Amino acid sequence: MMQTAISVPVEHVLVLAVALFLIGLTGVLVRRNILFLLMSLEIMMNACGLAFVVAGARWVQADGQIMYMFVLALAAAEVAVGLGLVLQLERRFRHLDIDAASELKG
Amino acid sequence: MDLLWLIPSFPLAGFMILLLTQGRLPNSVVAIVGAGSIGAAAVVAFIVGSAFIDAGSMPYSQLLWAWMDVGGFTPEFTLYLDGLSLVMVGVITGVGFLIHLYASGYMAHEEGYSRFFAYMNLFVFAMLMLVLGDNLLVLFLGWEGVGLCSYLLIGFFHDDAENGLAARKAFVVTRVGDTAMALGLFLLFRELGSLQIQTILHSAQTTWPDGSVLCTSIALLLLGGAVGKSAQLPLQTWLPDAMAGPTPVSALIHAATMVTAGVYLIARMHDLYLLAPVAQFAVAIVGLATLFISAFAALTQNDLKRILAYSTMSQIGYMFFALGVGAWSAAIFHLMTHAFFKALLFLAAGSVILAMHHEQDVRQMGNLWKRLPIPFACMLIGSAALAALPLTSGFYSKDIILLTSWDYGTNGPWFWGLAVLAAFVTSLYSARLIFVVFFGKANSDAASSAKDGSGWNMSLPLIVLAILAVGGGWFGLDPVGDVLPDGGLEGAAHDPMLVWGTALVPIIGVLTGYLVFGGGQLNVDKLLETSLLRTLRRFWFSGWGFDALYDRVLVRPFIFLAALNKNDFVDLLYKGTAALARGASQLVVRTQTGQLRWYATSMAIGLAIVMLFVVGLL
Repeated sequence: MMQTAISVPVEHVLVLAVALFLIGLTGVLVRRNILFLLMSLEIMMNACGLAFVVAGARWVQADGQIMYMFVLALAAAEVAVGLGLVLQLERRFRHLDIDAASELKG
Repeated sequence: MDLLWLIPSFPLAGFMILLLTQGRLPNSVVAIVGAGSIGAAAVVAFIVGSAFIDAGSMPYSQLLWAWMDVGGFTPEFTLYLDGLSLVMVGVITGVGFLIHLYASGYMAHEEGYSRFFAYMNLFVFAMLMLVLGDNLLVLFLGWEGVGLCSYLLIGFFHDDAENGLAARKAFVVTRVGDTAMALGLFLLFRELGSLQIQTILHSAQTTWPDGSVLCTSIALLLLGGAVGKSAQLPLQTWLPDAMAGPTPVSALIHAATMVTAGVYLIARMHDLYLLAPVAQFAVAIVGLATLFISAFAALTQNDLKRILAYSTMSQIGYMFFALGVGAWSAAIFHLMTHAFFKALLFLAAGSVILAMHHEQDVRQMGNLWKRLPIPFACMLIGSAALAALPLTSGFYSKDIILLTSWDYGTNGPWFWGLAVLAAFVTSLYSARLIFVVFFGKANSDAASSAKDGSGWNMSLPLIVLAILAVGGGWFGLDPVGDVLPDGGLEGAAHDPMLVWGTALVPIIGVLTGYLVFGGGQLNVDKLLETSLLRTLRRFWFSGWGFDALYDRVLVRPFIFLAALNKNDFVDLLYKGTAALARGASQLVVRTQTGQLRWYATSMAIGLAIVMLFVVGLL
């Protein structure tokens, strides 16, 4: 395989990943609509995936990309379960406000 | 004799059947199971007993199994048959069967027919374990078993709170004695390393010198147990109240068998008492005091069954007295004859009470002799035996006791005097029973319309017991002679004057009774006009005030202390711990908002702190 110089420094990509992760986290913490919650989770996971990929490229190993495959699979599963939950929530509470589903309150 | 194990097995099987069917059997089947199991036990007891006597009355023991094996302590379930236990087994199964048969008629219209027979069978089983056990632990098992059955049966009519209280009283009071007895057993085991009765009796003589303090205290502790179970002074107060139970129960448990367990225990452990003359003297004093006090109490009672209850205490007092003065065989002889005539008296009283529609007050009765001929004849025979009129069984046994007491050292004459005075009172109240209940004029509508409604199963036991009450004393009691230290009933020869005097006392008593209660010259109402007699009467009526005394000295202080310490200060520790846990829980509960975003935020913050910590910024 042909070695090419990395034109983008690793630090930049990591900063991007952290920024994406924080955006996603903020979304999870402040959003009340469960759909946006799921979307924010998706952003967080992709931030992690980006970090894996760039780390794999930095050390010239395939592990980072394999990890990204796992993240994808996880995301797919999460969406499948999550959307099921969204449907249930909608059916039970008639809207998608996550704060309404607080029946486990101590 | 290999069949010995079958004797207690039958009542146990009967109990199990009645227990497991939970009263779903029809009454006729219950009666067959309940009375039949005791009848079968009686038949086996007869077979075993004749084999035992044919084989020369050699003690026979049958090892069933080892109960447990803990650090060298291996009590065994062993049945032990000798003359003494044979007499007890005979009385328990024989008289027990007659009473069961009677009860099958007496209880026919009561609720809980099956429950009644289940308890009764369990009682007979426990009583048989008590007298057949070769180990004091097995004896104690039976001892507590009969106590439990006594409790259950006194409170049999549990709809009435009074009966429950009477049952509780009996249980608690006898528990005092049982605690003393348990302590005695602990001491015995510590000192001799065994609870096998024969081993104990054997090694006691070699281990302890005459009058040793240890042996005396053990003998006194065992006496404590005997006193509680046999309703002797000072633990006698439960027996009159125990009459709350059905009448067959009073006949079987509180007259014929269980209350004589104390007599059996002392007779069984006789070697200990021979080594401890002080304890044996205490037995005599306890017996003398009880027989004296309760004879006077019986004279004043108005409840038919309470009269008989006090008279039971008095007669058991004679047995203790006999044990104390060394008339061992006579005590067991009196135990047997008393079982016959007191069971007869109770069962006849049951028939009278039934005919009177559950009226027990003798003042409401009168002139019943024509209306209730069989109960009258039986009561007459029973009272004659109780009063120890010549030729009845009670005469033979009581006469030996009284004559033996005369020989008891320097104390003999006044022992004899007090016992004879009580015998006089005994014949007086026996006469009162007959005259007030069966003669004079009918004092209530129930008395003038009373009708004997008992069937064959109630009359037959009465007639058999009446025959035994008369003839039960004619042939003496040979089997116990080999077991007990006095070697049998043959006592020393006495001055003929003394013999005649002792025999005449009951006759004088009955004649006095006729004069006082039979409408003769001395009228009881006139006698009671003097204030001294009235006061005495009230005092005796309350059983010499023991209930009031114990209430003041024991019950009320205890209740006061219990009320004082209702909020037990030890509880503060536990309550404090609980309050702390509850407070902390309240605190943590607040974090459980149920809001997903709150959880996610706390997770993120926690994670951030951990990461800062890992990186080393914190």
